[in-house]
Amino acid sequence: MEIYLPIAEMSVHWLIVLGMGFGVGFLSGVFGIGGGFLLTPLLIFYGIPPGVAVATTASQVTSATFSGVISHWRRGSVDLKMGTVMVGAGLVGTAVGVFLFSVLRRMGQSEFLVSASYVILLGSVGGLMLTESVRTLRAGGSAGGRKPGQHSWIHGLPLKMRFRQSRLYISAIPVLALGFVVGVLSAIMGVGGAFLMVPVMIYVLKMPTNVVIGTSLFQVFFVTAAATVLHAVDNYTVDIVLALFLILGGVFGVQYGVRVGAKLRGEQLRFFLALLVLAVAARLFVDMVATPADLYSVAAAMP
Amino acid sequence: MRNWISLAALSGLLVVAPAAAQEELVSGLSQDVVEITSDYTGTELTVFGAIERPAQSTPGDIVVVVRGPGATMTVRRKDRIAGVWINNARARLVGMPSYYFLASTASLGKIASGDTLRRYDLGLDTLRPDTAISDGSIVPYVRALVRAQVNNGLYGQNITGVEMLSPTLFRVRVPVPAAVPRGSYLVQVYLFRDGAVASAQSTPLYVDQTGFNRRLYDFAHLWPLSYGISTVLLAVLLGWVSTLFFRRSM
Repeated sequence: MEIYLPIAEMSVHWLIVLGMGFGVGFLSGVFGIGGGFLLTPLLIFYGIPPGVAVATTASQVTSATFSGVISHWRRGSVDLKMGTVMVGAGLVGTAVGVFLFSVLRRMGQSEFLVSASYVILLGSVGGLMLTESVRTLRAGGSAGGRKPGQHSWIHGLPLKMRFRQSRLYISAIPVLALGFVVGVLSAIMGVGGAFLMVPVMIYVLKMPTNVVIGTSLFQVFFVTAAATVLHAVDNYTVDIVLALFLILGGVFGVQYGVRVGAKLRGEQLRFFLALLVLAVAARLFVDMVATPADLYSVAAAMP
Repeated sequence: MRNWISLAALSGLLVVAPAAAQEELVSGLSQDVVEITSDYTGTELTVFGAIERPAQSTPGDIVVVVRGPGATMTVRRKDRIAGVWINNARARLVGMPSYYFLASTASLGKIASGDTLRRYDLGLDTLRPDTAISDGSIVPYVRALVRAQVNNGLYGQNITGVEMLSPTLFRVRVPVPAAVPRGSYLVQVYLFRDGAVASAQSTPLYVDQTGFNRRLYDFAHLWPLSYGISTVLLAVLLGWVSTLFFRRSM
């Protein structure tokens, strides 16, 4: 059965949309990522206008991450203190990102810069995670990215805070910086930014992998909820009917994902996430380099 | 005396130009309004019509055009710079139809001259924006736009699309795709004889959302903040309900 979307002004098959929501929600639950970097391209590929795809993805990610946060909360794997510090910095970052994005758009190259930053970020993050997880898997270790007793420049910074859930006593500066950068990226790239946050939390902050996922879901929930409202107010591009079907698929996907994720070991999780991130980066890179089928592209101007 | 003159003038008119004055095109639509409801997946309109008091025994050529509301579109061209394809040039085209469908009884070149066709905007290759700002000539951008719109089903041209049911009766099926833009449309019917328009008629058509869709659309545009917050609340509620469901079932 086809359903008509009042904001996208087109009709879609409900089962396909439900399936997309489920698939992305599943990955979101397993890896603690929002899944926006997967869902937005999928929706655009299906023919949803890009503006509506980006904005409605934000609402789906809001729901999926909320569901995930509750499940992790019950397991005690959300570091509330760490999450709150990051959300605060993240909201500031989002505001700065919105400003940056309007500057880029006036320069006329926002699309290229978004693709290029995706490829560079996803490629380097994915590559690092892949080599690290393979090394850990080979060594048969289970400590993951955390090597107790090892100190880096991070530990020399002032403004130390204790994060009990993460069993960390570190400076708030890298935590704030990470939250801020992720906020900027989420505004520019239209994603939650967890794919960037998860590896930094693991490798730089050296948080335990299971707490990383709960905490990143917590941060992404707030950032995407804010993004949904901003898109609705600024661009009128949130399609609530499309959101409903994506959410229905997504919340169930997340629940299954969280259960599957709990069975996997930390380095296995990181290995699969690395493969996923690298696949998306490769796909975007090919799109940038390959000769397009049509050199011209059409965008309807906002009225 | 005055009566005499007017009577003479009247009779003269009747004698000199009886055909042009009398031949008339009558047409109608299967529906005046296309209502977009929740299960709308596109539809088909029928334009039907008749030539009343035909001037000649041979049927003229019929051209039917359905035009959607004008829209502003940006067309961008990619160029390869340092191995990467980048949007390098663009054109902003104002006043291109958001929907355009043409049906005729013969190929347009046989019906009228290029000048005549351009005067009435008949044919996909006669479409031009009202105004445009572009890097270089607008022609390749307009062609690219027409190509894209044809692929989306929003532009179409069918030179055998007018079915003559009899020498004076005709019918046209107009495809209306799911992604049809809302607004007021114009259906124009032309009767051509010897390369010139002998008669023409136009009928308005409205495409609009109705019912629940319409209310959602209005809500999103009139109270965007409440709409955005409602969407977030819906997301949170469904996320929460799903965890309850899973806790019970597992």
